[in-house]
Amino acid sequence: MSDSYPVAADLGVAGCECCGLVLAATGGAGAWRCPRCGFALYTRKPHSVQRTVAWLLAAVVLYLPANLLPVMGTNSVLGRETHTIVGGIIELWATGSRELAAIVFIASIAVPLLKIGALALLAFTAHRRSRWRQRERAALYRLVETVGHWSMLDVFVVVLLVGMVHFGVLASVEPEPGLLAFGAVVVATMLASSSFDPRLIWPHADPGRRPGAHG
Amino acid sequence: MTMRPLRIAPPNALAVTQPASRYLVCEECDAVFPGRSVAADGVLRCRRCGATLARGHGLPLDGQLALTFAALVVFAIASVSPIVTLDLKGIRSVATLAQATLLTWDSGGHLVALLAAATAFAFPLAVIVLRLWVLVPLVLGRPVPALAPVMRALRWVLRWSMVEVFMLGVLIAVVRSAGATNVVLGPGIFAYTALTVLLTAIHAAGLQGLWRQASRP
Repeated sequence: MSDSYPVAADLGVAGCECCGLVLAATGGAGAWRCPRCGFALYTRKPHSVQRTVAWLLAAVVLYLPANLLPVMGTNSVLGRETHTIVGGIIELWATGSRELAAIVFIASIAVPLLKIGALALLAFTAHRRSRWRQRERAALYRLVETVGHWSMLDVFVVVLLVGMVHFGVLASVEPEPGLLAFGAVVVATMLASSSFDPRLIWPHADPGRRPGAHG
Repeated sequence: MTMRPLRIAPPNALAVTQPASRYLVCEECDAVFPGRSVAADGVLRCRRCGATLARGHGLPLDGQLALTFAALVVFAIASVSPIVTLDLKGIRSVATLAQATLLTWDSGGHLVALLAAATAFAFPLAVIVLRLWVLVPLVLGRPVPALAPVMRALRWVLRWSMVEVFMLGVLIAVVRSAGATNVVLGPGIFAYTALTVLLTAIHAAGLQGLWRQASRP
């Protein structure tokens, strides 16, 4: 199966991924930069799949402490308690804030898992030069890019609670090590998705050849 | 099968300086379309992958400048005003982002404090300041100093600026602390709401229009 759209390399042009300027270009060795913004021009981001997978592995490794370790500790006259991400969601649900519990569940549990799964799928199919459901995969990539930073929600919630609840021995809140792991998961998945080059979803023949000539 | 990236090189230096503006190239799939102007509120999408190819100039430059300047003022208010005030048996606790970040740092969460300060304070501030850096000379009809590095920095900080997520975080923190204490919303929470709306409106204008305006001879 091949699609009939002309691509940049066939027409001898290249689009700058930083500023969008379209330039006359021809294939060959060496590197050059966009004359408007100075960004390095590539037909594909270098080592895109490798870098995406590396950041994904980091995210998977950090995902365990992020969810198993407590992210927050509360001190009160009754003693000290620690809370995990899931514990915070259950607490919100139990106190009647079901909508907020759902939002935190989506931002903190569903979105990181969706991102890791989606990027793994995108990297695998890109590596295989697959032509399976290309339009849907392109939409999936855009979804991952759009929702990516919302997982930072719980980091902000804990930092704010630390600032809000400080009444000396009566009540105080402290960050716990799980929070750092959680923040690191968010950063790693964001770096993974920015390392991925969506143009890899659309493999084409070598520059200069007609589209569709590739088997 | 090779996965090595192909670098493009022109046969000579002249080819580099020849923008081929008769084409539009999709940033996400490399499909080429004939370049054409887009209506002020129009969006041009790639027919192959669905990505946005080009956006119309939704907002004129002076309008963007006004909104960005408003965002700077609101940002200043949001940074110094209390977000919420908590009251526990007569003891009051006033929370601002700076105070929350410092307390997190003091409780041992150094990297987390830096992460929050960067994404909720430093990067949003950088977004506003860098936009003003480009917009003020453009509106005055002067060349923009250091245009390329400033625009590239702007593109980078836009990705890591998370005011809208912080805004939602405030809401959830208020609900989670409301059980034990008396919570009074401060001006900061309203300033952050206004800032979220302003930044969203400014982001909608995109960077492509700025590039076009700034590089016009």
